Amino acid sequence: MAASNHIETAAAGAGTGAVGIALVIAVELIGAAFLRQFLLVEDWRIIVGMLGVFCAALYVLQSRPALENRIAEAFSEHRRLATLLGAVIVLMFPFVLEQSTYALHLCVLSLLYATLALALNFQLGSANIPNFATGASYGIGAYASALLAVNLGVSFWLALPVAGLVATIFGFLLGLPSMRTRESYLALVTIAFGVVVHQLLNNLEFTGGPNGLVGIPAPELFGHNFASPLVVFGYSLPSQANFYYLSALLVLIAILFADRLHNSRVGLAWNALRADELAARCQGINTTWYKVLAFAVDAFLAGFAGTIYAFYVGFISPDNFTFLVSVTIMTMVIAGGMDNILGVIVGAVLLTLLPEKLRAFSDYRILFFGVTVIAFLMIRPQGIFPQRLRRYGG
Amino acid sequence: MTDMLLQQLLNCITLGSIYALIALGFSLLFGMLNIIHFSHGDVSLLSPFLALGAVQALGTALGAAPGGMSFFLILVGAIVLTGVIGLLLDALVIQRFRDAPVMMALVATVALGIVLRELIRHLFPNGSNPHSFPRFITGTLDVFGFPVPIFNAAVILVSILSVGGLFLLLNRTRLGLQIRAVSHDREAARLMSINPSRIFRVTFFIASAIGAIGGLFFSSYASVVRFDFSVEVGLIGFSAAVVGGLGSMPGAIVGSLLIAVLDTFVQAVVPHGASYRLVFVFSLVIGILIFRPSGLFGKTIVEKV
Repeated sequence: MAASNHIETAAAGAGTGAVGIALVIAVELIGAAFLRQFLLVEDWRIIVGMLGVFCAALYVLQSRPALENRIAEAFSEHRRLATLLGAVIVLMFPFVLEQSTYALHLCVLSLLYATLALALNFQLGSANIPNFATGASYGIGAYASALLAVNLGVSFWLALPVAGLVATIFGFLLGLPSMRTRESYLALVTIAFGVVVHQLLNNLEFTGGPNGLVGIPAPELFGHNFASPLVVFGYSLPSQANFYYLSALLVLIAILFADRLHNSRVGLAWNALRADELAARCQGINTTWYKVLAFAVDAFLAGFAGTIYAFYVGFISPDNFTFLVSVTIMTMVIAGGMDNILGVIVGAVLLTLLPEKLRAFSDYRILFFGVTVIAFLMIRPQGIFPQRLRRYGG
Repeated sequence: MTDMLLQQLLNCITLGSIYALIALGFSLLFGMLNIIHFSHGDVSLLSPFLALGAVQALGTALGAAPGGMSFFLILVGAIVLTGVIGLLLDALVIQRFRDAPVMMALVATVALGIVLRELIRHLFPNGSNPHSFPRFITGTLDVFGFPVPIFNAAVILVSILSVGGLFLLLNRTRLGLQIRAVSHDREAARLMSINPSRIFRVTFFIASAIGAIGGLFFSSYASVVRFDFSVEVGLIGFSAAVVGGLGSMPGAIVGSLLIAVLDTFVQAVVPHGASYRLVFVFSLVIGILIFRPSGLFGKTIVEKV
């Protein structure tokens, strides 16, 4: 009796296993196909229709938590398969974009914003520290590397770590007031920092003032210039593909970083800060250090993203790094789902593409953006992919 | 020299009074009722556009621009209407985030500010362009041989009256008692048969209307208004309230004066001061918050386990 029971559960387990695998593959492929179609489509009616489908899918998830849990379970069961398939999709994606430079450009931007959103997620998602200065760190990274490249002829590969370091130092400086201020007060400190950085970039002589910096050379790797088309097995991809793979690598690093941190003592300490700062302090967690650390990690990743942006576009001006950019990054984290790596990335991609794809409404797209954000926060306040409970052991 | 100095001082106090009118709303909403409302600056700067729109509409209807008494009535109408808009925003959007995590309300109201600005840009004729705004009170007073424009005197007087009125309202009336009760403990207030939602709405009306006065004075002082001026005004108003200590009315005024003094001083003394003024203002904000984390007059938060 007991044996037959055991066999039955085993069979059921195998059944759900196969369903799980199919589910993972279906979700990833449909997601990728949907994204490709969304990137390539031009007609605004189809764009609005696709957005409607996306909202409907979210609504189904919202009204049927069982389905949502099933998908999440399948992904955590077949983690390796999901990761592998995801990697293949990311690698192959530029080949299915029909040589469209615009679609690739949007992909690069999405990936850079995904990095920024992951960076902010360390603070906002993990530790619940409001930071309106991610845009400023992004700008500091971009300007630091661009100044090095334009004035001293430093190569991209050296400028990248230096810019990350400079941004981190500024992140530490910004983190210092965070030792004492909290909530609205801390939010104001970060806003003020962002405004000061923007105004300085806009007015100082050596940053080129409002005109910004021009003529940032494209990076080179093993004699391959990133401004020239990428040829893979005789198939030529537009030059944007170089930066696509570069920023995909950056996102990968950011994900690994975030995952390792989330599952370490640091991530746990941040979560404790979010739950109750006072209780965390009573448990012997050095709250000051972990807060400052969150600022530094955020600035470091943002500095990297800024460097790639500067070398990708070849021209930066203070207006690329305003308060509004910080707000957008913050919206990505909240709309995607705080402290959920996948959610944050989806939020970043969605909110990068949304204003670009709504160009048909040209003048009204900022308005539309604002309305979407508010509607989203009212309808699904926990974000696209809500934060999950920590699981321990098997 | 003395005249110059006095002139600068007068400008400082005038500008400070205008900022204070905006900061008061922030202090009232953030500090007293713990509502995050980042679009208060944008709501405040709706009033000059409402007034301009009414003037234009009346001008075409009557064939002549309204002046004197009717213009004054338009201003009052704009102030009341802005108050009502603030109330409606609370009922439609902000109310839903009252019990949500702080960050939600923060981002939602920042987005609300964007929506308000864009609506002005699209709905107002030539909304993207700057619009000149008249100095609605002209003439000068003679104070001990020193000429003081009546406009500046009016700004300062109205600010003092608003602050005093607000103080009396909060401390001497039944409504003020109810507001303070709700700010202390919403549940306990409800048990005392106070409807918190009504109190929230009333507070929104008051804050938005006072902000609207500030918005009108600001555009009149700058003699020009554009849809995106509200970003800077809102940030400075919020900074003033935070520097003074959220929830403290005298703090909001001191914070506003401090920022106005620095603003005027930098523009007068530092080379290229006009372009660096925000750097100085916000560095001051950071500096003060490092040494006084709850603002100058804020209550020190004592935590109990």
